[in-house]
Amino acid sequence: MSFETDVSRIEEIAQKLNASETSLEDSLALFEEGMLLSKKLEKTLSEAKSRVEIVLGDEKESAEITPF
Amino acid sequence: MHDDSLLLGTELSVTDLTTLIKRTLEEGFYGLRVSGEISNFRPASSGHWFFTLKDSKCALSAIMFKSSAWRVNFKPQEGDKVVVTGSLDVYAARGTYQLKCDTMEKSGSGDILAMLEKRKREYDELGYFAPERKKKIPIKPKRVGVVTSATSAALQDILQILSRRAPSLDILILPATVQGSSGAETIANRIRQANLLLLCDVLIVGRGGGSLEDLLPFSEDAVIQAIYESEIPVISAVGHEIDWALSDFVADLRAPTPSAAAELVSQGILDLRQKVESLNLAIHKAMQHRLQLLEHRIPSTIAMQRSMTHLLEKREYLLANAGQSMSQAYKDKLEKSTQRVLLATRELQALSPLAILARGYTLVFDSQGKAIHNQEEAKVGEHIKLTFIDGSRKALIEE
Repeated sequence: MSFETDVSRIEEIAQKLNASETSLEDSLALFEEGMLLSKKLEKTLSEAKSRVEIVLGDEKESAEITPF
Repeated sequence: MHDDSLLLGTELSVTDLTTLIKRTLEEGFYGLRVSGEISNFRPASSGHWFFTLKDSKCALSAIMFKSSAWRVNFKPQEGDKVVVTGSLDVYAARGTYQLKCDTMEKSGSGDILAMLEKRKREYDELGYFAPERKKKIPIKPKRVGVVTSATSAALQDILQILSRRAPSLDILILPATVQGSSGAETIANRIRQANLLLLCDVLIVGRGGGSLEDLLPFSEDAVIQAIYESEIPVISAVGHEIDWALSDFVADLRAPTPSAAAELVSQGILDLRQKVESLNLAIHKAMQHRLQLLEHRIPSTIAMQRSMTHLLEKREYLLANAGQSMSQAYKDKLEKSTQRVLLATRELQALSPLAILARGYTLVFDSQGKAIHNQEEAKVGEHIKLTFIDGSRKALIEE
């Protein structure tokens, strides 16, 4: 799933959890799903996995990219 | 007093004369535009600048107050040729005068500014700055390209801000010379390179603060053209807040500083992080609310428990009652049986042969222990046994 669909899924879950017609069993399952998703997204957004690289060489049409 | 003739031979106090000079100089010399060379530059800790403005023949002490000095976009150096505007100021306590500067620019910068204005107009007329041409900066970029000097503090600022606000964002540094005559070409080349190889989804093009000349490469045709043609959205981030370059106008977004550009680029990711966080909180709250509602229904469970206990107590009572009546019945039956046994025993006793003996009768047995019932069985000369109620005797039948 894409980031955006994940976000809207969590929004949907929050909405359903607030609706009184959702049963307790469903609520628990939704809650669990929501927590898993939000943890996953949080990880994607804040995990320090970024690469910092630098382009070497002056040739416009070729590039050697190495870690900075 | 202003009439010169009145001064002739008039005795004046120092204050009188100084006041006169002050008024004459300050009212007569304002709105000045003075060119000269900076010498003996002394910035004070208060932020005011003290220096001497001189040329080959003369020198003039000068002051620039903090309120004006912060607007100057370069740090004056010994020997800098500058043009200042200002007025004369008399310091009465010392009887000295000085040039109080309001603005300062490097000599020739007026020409540079005029040239930039002209160029800006030209590109504007060509539609290079049109708002409808501006591309949207991606909200959640994956890789941000930075065209700047690889060794600059500006780059360090950008890296630091990005790693703090959007640690997941990849960064590609496209090193460029950001000042001097070769600057524009390398900057333009890096922008084109990023586009040709599609190296990133947003580009920051910029440098830290510097003099007007230092920032010039970002206003050169080559850079303007490269940014104009860039398919990757470009954020221009040149110098300080007060600085500007033509790249600011042609870029899709102008950031006041390189740090601000880093903040702009990471804002979307930061917002998303906050959104995820608040959604997480919302789910928690909803679940908590749900559980609280359930908790409110628990008192009914307590009522149920109470009625159950009541029911149990009732049954227990019944059981105890039943038990008691059962044991009563048993007791009754036992008593009845005892009575019957007693009665039977008595009946039995009445029928017992021993009871006959008690009345004085005697049982007669032969020597084999067989009861003798009649005369026939009682043979003469035989030994018999007579049994009484309290014992027995042997006897001999004689006839």
